[in-house]
Amino acid sequence: MYQKTVTITAPHGIHTRPAALLVKEAKSFACDVIVECNGKQASAKSLFKLQTLGLYQGVEVTVLAQGEQAQQAVERVSELLITLS
Amino acid sequence: MQVNGIVVSTGLAIGQALNISTHPQPLDLRLLPVANIPSEKNALKKATDQLISYLQDCQQRVCPSCDTFQLIDADILFLEDEALLEDIQQHIEQYRVSATVAVERIFNELALAIADIDDPYLANRSQDILLLAKRLITTLQGKSQHDLSTLTKNTILLADDLTPADFAMLPLKFIKGIVLESGGLTSHTAILARSAGIPALLNCPWSSQDGHIEDGSSLILDAIEGVLYIEPNAEVQASLEHKLADYLKQQQALLIYKDKPSHTLDGHALTLRANVGNLSDISSLMLVGSDGIGLFRTEFLLMNAQALPNEDQQYKLYCDALQALNGQVFTIRTFDVGADKDIPCLNQHSEENPALGVRGIRYSLLHPDMFIVQTKAILRAACHGDIRLMFPMVSQIEELLQAFELIEQAKQQLVEQGKKFGTVQYGIVVETPAAVLSLESMLPYLDFVSIGSNDLTQYTLAADRTNLKLANLYPPLSPAVLKLIAMTIEKCNQAKVKVCLCGELASNANVLPLLMGMGLNELSINPASLLAVKARIVEGNYSAFYQHAQSVKQLISNAAIDEAIKTFNLSN
Repeated sequence: MYQKTVTITAPHGIHTRPAALLVKEAKSFACDVIVECNGKQASAKSLFKLQTLGLYQGVEVTVLAQGEQAQQAVERVSELLITLS
Repeated sequence: MQVNGIVVSTGLAIGQALNISTHPQPLDLRLLPVANIPSEKNALKKATDQLISYLQDCQQRVCPSCDTFQLIDADILFLEDEALLEDIQQHIEQYRVSATVAVERIFNELALAIADIDDPYLANRSQDILLLAKRLITTLQGKSQHDLSTLTKNTILLADDLTPADFAMLPLKFIKGIVLESGGLTSHTAILARSAGIPALLNCPWSSQDGHIEDGSSLILDAIEGVLYIEPNAEVQASLEHKLADYLKQQQALLIYKDKPSHTLDGHALTLRANVGNLSDISSLMLVGSDGIGLFRTEFLLMNAQALPNEDQQYKLYCDALQALNGQVFTIRTFDVGADKDIPCLNQHSEENPALGVRGIRYSLLHPDMFIVQTKAILRAACHGDIRLMFPMVSQIEELLQAFELIEQAKQQLVEQGKKFGTVQYGIVVETPAAVLSLESMLPYLDFVSIGSNDLTQYTLAADRTNLKLANLYPPLSPAVLKLIAMTIEKCNQAKVKVCLCGELASNANVLPLLMGMGLNELSINPASLLAVKARIVEGNYSAFYQHAQSVKQLISNAAIDEAIKTFNLSN
């Protein structure tokens, strides 16, 4: 298991467009990638589940992954969470 | 026959009707026979694939770096989401319902979860989810997306709503106009229509007319006045064709006035601001060189809303407007609901006599919670720009003082909550004779006054302005209304309170000499008419306007006033 915690900085949070980009990236990894926030968990590969988390500016998000390329996946997804807006 | 709507993209268009509404049929709520479960699941998969391939087609037509492309991308990713598909399939099996019912329930659940998010911007995304659900349901019901690629004639599109994806599919060469029944305030479609130069109306209830509009019916869209004419007679047709030709020529000629200062040849200045109902209009104000907004009709925030926008949502909206205005004045009129404006999310009671009923500030004073939420959002936004706040339909000082009392409460709450707020200027919309006659008592509390000439005319002449049989009793100018306007101006000038006029009268370039000659400081105008009015100022002389106003004020009949205005404009 590999994990990393980041804080959302995008003024409008991770809304539909950035979330869609994030899902696309997550899907390029074979392993499961989980995003955890406000006590809820969702697969980073499901736009549908991701949208219910409430990834708005200032919240802390933990990205977790296990298996093949877990570290790269976590690094890439958390980087996107910080940089997308 | 004609229907009114809100202009979001100005112009005139003539064409054939094409109805592309996607109203879903009623859902089949019956228990599904177990044997049919697999076929429902298949139908779901098929419809999803069909919609995805349609959206991919749409995507091909737009530029990959634009917002529209990414918005369509998000829709596709939603539909490709296996977790979502599994949830729907499971729902079909577990509750033995049709795919349409399952889609509606699962998407609704998701939309509710999203709407619940603390951040207003993210919560708003629930609207996109509901729209996508509607499309998936209509696809499941076997309605294919309209194929417009075969259009060969000039067409005016009629729809309930239009997504950016739909818009991308339009063969713009043949689409001469767009008329939508709904259309949110910051609607993307409004912006797209405007940038494509296609005249468009929103909030136009075209499908609720008695005569159903058949495809191919001839239509004229007057997106200057905000009217859709259905099967117009030869006379209307001829006059609008003429108007269209004139309009195009005139628009071109008026552009030279955009950056000219708004004063007469003899150096008398008049401030011209814009009337706005839709925040996406702000970007187009630059094109007509208006000096900020003189009237923002906030009730349009409510017209398509499922619920009242909360304080943060309103705050964000007002802040966005201020940012777009770039330092110019932003005049906000508090919710003017009641009378002829039906707002679904308010559950208003029907009244015997709505024009004399609970409307304007009266509604706000009876619903202080709503009013306090709105004023808190406005006061907070005032940290970021120049806001003027005005109350509609104030007729007596008691109403004004009550409104101020509620604003004190709003400030108190902001202090307690540790939220920053700024200062605003206060004004009222003068639209009843009582307001004019008792203005002295209110002026000490006010920074400005705006004359709402439409309602002032209706209430002075006791003639319902929506009743066509009374049209001749509702002239644009009458001696009685002119007297009230003159009194208002005089009282304001004496008290050194700025006085503006924001009714339809202000948008008529021929009436400008009279209004300016009477001593108004400001006009707030429909953006489409602003340049024409400005041209009249720039090419005119205030001394002549003043003389004209003095003589018109003496006239005793509607016809004489009309005649005097015509004569003056022909000779000056």
